[in-house]
Amino acid sequence: MVRVCDIMDRDIILCYPHDSVKEVVHMMKANQFRPVVVAHESGEVWGLVSRLAVIRFYGEDLERTRAEDVMRPYRIEVDPQWPIETAAELMKRTRYEHLIIVDPHAGPMRPIGILSSFDIVRYMSGIETGHYEQILKMPQEWSTSSP
Amino acid sequence: MEERVMRLMRKGALSCSEDTSVREVAQIMLVNSTHYCVVINQSHEVLGIISARSILKAFGKDLRQAKAKDILVPYTFTITPSTPLREAIQLMDKRKIEHLIVVSDRPGSKAILGLLHVEDIVDRMAQDEER
Repeated sequence: MVRVCDIMDRDIILCYPHDSVKEVVHMMKANQFRPVVVAHESGEVWGLVSRLAVIRFYGEDLERTRAEDVMRPYRIEVDPQWPIETAAELMKRTRYEHLIIVDPHAGPMRPIGILSSFDIVRYMSGIETGHYEQILKMPQEWSTSSP
Repeated sequence: MEERVMRLMRKGALSCSEDTSVREVAQIMLVNSTHYCVVINQSHEVLGIISARSILKAFGKDLRQAKAKDILVPYTFTITPSTPLREAIQLMDKRKIEHLIVVSDRPGSKAILGLLHVEDIVDRMAQDEER
């Protein structure tokens, strides 16, 4: 059985609730445009700032808005030992694009990883990491279209 | 002057046919490190787009049997290079989609020109702040 901890990303991008959207945007840019987890100084997860949430402020003063004002509050406790199927069902049901994985033994809502829908696509594709070279020899109809 | 989609759109897009299996679509996305795949017909007209979320719809099913046309998000709105960027951003936010298909300005055209990616907008915001 494949578990959430087997495919989750352990590299979490964290900010504080009072950090500005400007800081969040720079964090995203420095980290392959991944979403930013908002955590209280105690280490407890409060929410998640997605890319779609920050682009609402395009052209505005990003220093005036705080992460806590744009984050989606996050209350779900996803255990790293859950089977992938449970996490996938939760994503489908809640329409969350990312699940924050918390350590059940470290205190309330302590983040230890993040699982994206793309991580699950990677699992579903059946491609083992490091085996991309074989897939690149795929049929010609898989092409990039351009006008 | 108001910024237009053409300032940030990327030309071309990764695509598949409507009968491509979901497993193949997942592999196309993975190999190319993209979070989308545009679905086109034989005339190269846009039918819709598949995101990582769309692929999740097929979780637990036989991915070799499920087809792109079963999970695609239909293409129902028109974004062209001359659409104001702010209007495109509102559309992304409202529909919760991170990639917008950009088609030609010609009336009725469904020929794809490129895509507007959410990360390019975030990137521009970061650049604007550095100035």
